[in-house]
Amino acid sequence: MHARAFALLIAAAMARAQPGYPPPRDAAGKPDLSGIWQVMNTADWNLEGHAASAGNLPQLGAIGAIPPGESVVEGGTIPYLAEAAARRKQNFANRWTADPEIKCYLPGVPRATYLPYPFQIVQSQKTILFSYEYAGAARIVNMDSNKQAPIDSWMGWSNGHWEGDTLVIDVTGLNDKTWFDRAGNFHSAALRVTERYPPRGAGMLNYEATIDDPQTFSRPWKIRMILYRHEEENARLLEFKCVEFVEELLYGHLRKKTGGKP
Amino acid sequence: MNVWRALIAAIVLSAAAWPQPAALPRTPHGDPNLEGIWTSASVVPLERPAELNGQEFYTPAEAAENAKRVLGISSWERLGAQAREHYNMSQYGLDLSQVKVASTLRTSLIVGPEGRVPPFTAEARQRLAERAARNRGHQFDGPENRPLQEQCLMYSTEGPPMLPSAYNSNLQIVQDARHVAIVQEMIHSTRVIPTDNSPHLAPEIRQWAGDSRGRWEGDTLVVDTTNFTDRTAFRGSTEHLHLIERFTRVDADTILYEFTAEDPHTWTRPWTAQITLARIEGPIFEFACHEGNLGIANTLSGARAAEKAAAEAARKESK
Repeated sequence: MHARAFALLIAAAMARAQPGYPPPRDAAGKPDLSGIWQVMNTADWNLEGHAASAGNLPQLGAIGAIPPGESVVEGGTIPYLAEAAARRKQNFANRWTADPEIKCYLPGVPRATYLPYPFQIVQSQKTILFSYEYAGAARIVNMDSNKQAPIDSWMGWSNGHWEGDTLVIDVTGLNDKTWFDRAGNFHSAALRVTERYPPRGAGMLNYEATIDDPQTFSRPWKIRMILYRHEEENARLLEFKCVEFVEELLYGHLRKKTGGKP
Repeated sequence: MNVWRALIAAIVLSAAAWPQPAALPRTPHGDPNLEGIWTSASVVPLERPAELNGQEFYTPAEAAENAKRVLGISSWERLGAQAREHYNMSQYGLDLSQVKVASTLRTSLIVGPEGRVPPFTAEARQRLAERAARNRGHQFDGPENRPLQEQCLMYSTEGPPMLPSAYNSNLQIVQDARHVAIVQEMIHSTRVIPTDNSPHLAPEIRQWAGDSRGRWEGDTLVVDTTNFTDRTAFRGSTEHLHLIERFTRVDADTILYEFTAEDPHTWTRPWTAQITLARIEGPIFEFACHEGNLGIANTLSGARAAEKAAAEAARKESK
C-alpha cells in the first residue's frame, strides 16, 4: 500500500517539469520552443481511454485497426451535459463519414496538437507561429496585442502571453464544425480553449488544454500530454495537402460517367 | 527608348541603390527583420502590355497616372462578364482600390527589355499542346480536370513564386534564429524556410510548393526552391522548375521581392520579376478554401445537368 502511494507520488512528480531543468532560451530570455513537435499517443483516435478495435475497412486488416490508448482527459471522462452526451453517441455511430478529418477539413484547437502529424513552432517576440503539417493549417499567436477574434474560424484566434516559463495561449473565435477526435467528441461555438506549454525536459514540452464550453459540458475540463521534439538531422515539415486525397470521396458522385449506361 | 529615363529608374529601383535609412530593422539575431504583414498588390501586370514595348519604366507622372487608371476601375468592371456570378468585392478590402499598393515605376513585373515570359522551348510547345488536346472536351469531367485554384489546391499568390492576385494578396512573415516563415492568406499555406543553407529534400520527394531552402547574402534573404511536382505547372513548367527568390527590406514599409524562374524543359531562357511588398495593418484572416468549396461541386453538378438536358433534347428531336 505504502509502495503504491509512493509510486503515485513519483508519477505525479514526473508529470511536472524536471526540477532544475534549464530550457534553452530565446533572445528575450523566454524558453525557446522553436522546433518540430509531435505527440506519441492515440488521442486523435479517442481522447478517452479505448481498447484496440477493428477499423472500418476489413481489407486493410491490421493497418486499418484502431490502436489502444489510455485517456488523456483529467479524471478519465469528458463531463458532457445530457443532451450533448446523446449527440456524442450519435457522432460516434456516424464517425466514419462525419469526422471532419476524413474530409481534410482544418482540425481546430486543440485537435491540431495531437493529430498524427508533426507541427513546427517558429518563435519570435511579437508573434509565435504554429505551422501544422496536416492540411497546411496554421495559427498566428499574437504576443504583443490581445485583439478580439474578428470572426469565428476553424483554427480560431490565438492571443498568447508568458507566465514565468510557460507559454499560455487563449483561443477564442472557434467555429462549431470541428471535432476533438475520430470518436465524435465535439463542442459548440461557445468553446474557449486555454493552452499551456511548460518546458518539461530536454526536447520535451508538457501540453495542457482547458476546455470551457458551457453549452456542451457541465464544467471546464483538461487534457494533458507530452510533446516530443523531432531531433533527426534536417527534420522538417513535409507537405500534406490532403485535398487531392478526398476529391473522390467528396465529388466522385458528380464525376462524368464514362462507359456503361448512365 | 529613352535611355536617360531608364537609367534614372534603374538607379531608383535597384535594391542596392535604394535610399538606405540609417538602420534597417534587425532581429535580435542580427538578421534583417522581414517580419510583419505585407501585400503584393500591384497596379502593373506580370507581362508588359504591347503598347509599352521596349519601355521598362514609367516616369513618376506616368506611373501615377497608371495607378489612378487601374485603381479607378471598380471590381465589377474588372470582373466584366463574371461580375453577375461573383461575390461582392466592395467590402473587406477585396477591391484593389481599398488596398495599399507599393509604388513602382515598372511597366511590368517582369524585368528586362521585353518584360514578357520568354518563348517556350519546342519540347514545351509540344507538351502543352498535347496536354490541351487531352483535356479538350473534358474540362468538366471531374475535380482533377478543374484548375488548381478551383480545387483549393494551390493559388497564384502562394507559389512559390508568389504573384499578386486580383484580391487578398496578403502574407505574414515570422522569423526565428534559423527560419523565415511565410504565411499566405489565400488559400492558406505556410512555408517554413530554413536559413541554414541545408540541403534540399531527396529527389523522390516532390511537393506542390517544392522544397525551399534559404540563406542570407548580405542583407538579402535568398531562397532556392526545387522538388516541384510535374503537376504544379507554374506557367507551363515541369518538375525541373528551379526558382530563386530574393527578399530585401528596403525601408520600413517596403520589401523588394524578386524571383528568377528557370526550367530548360519549358523556357528558352531564365526570367526574372520584381514585386514590391507594402506593409499593411492586417490581420491575416483564415482562408478555409476547401472547407467552403461549393464552387467545384456546383460546377460539376451543373455540367452533369447540362449533359442530361442535352441528351433529353436529342432524344426528343429523334422522336
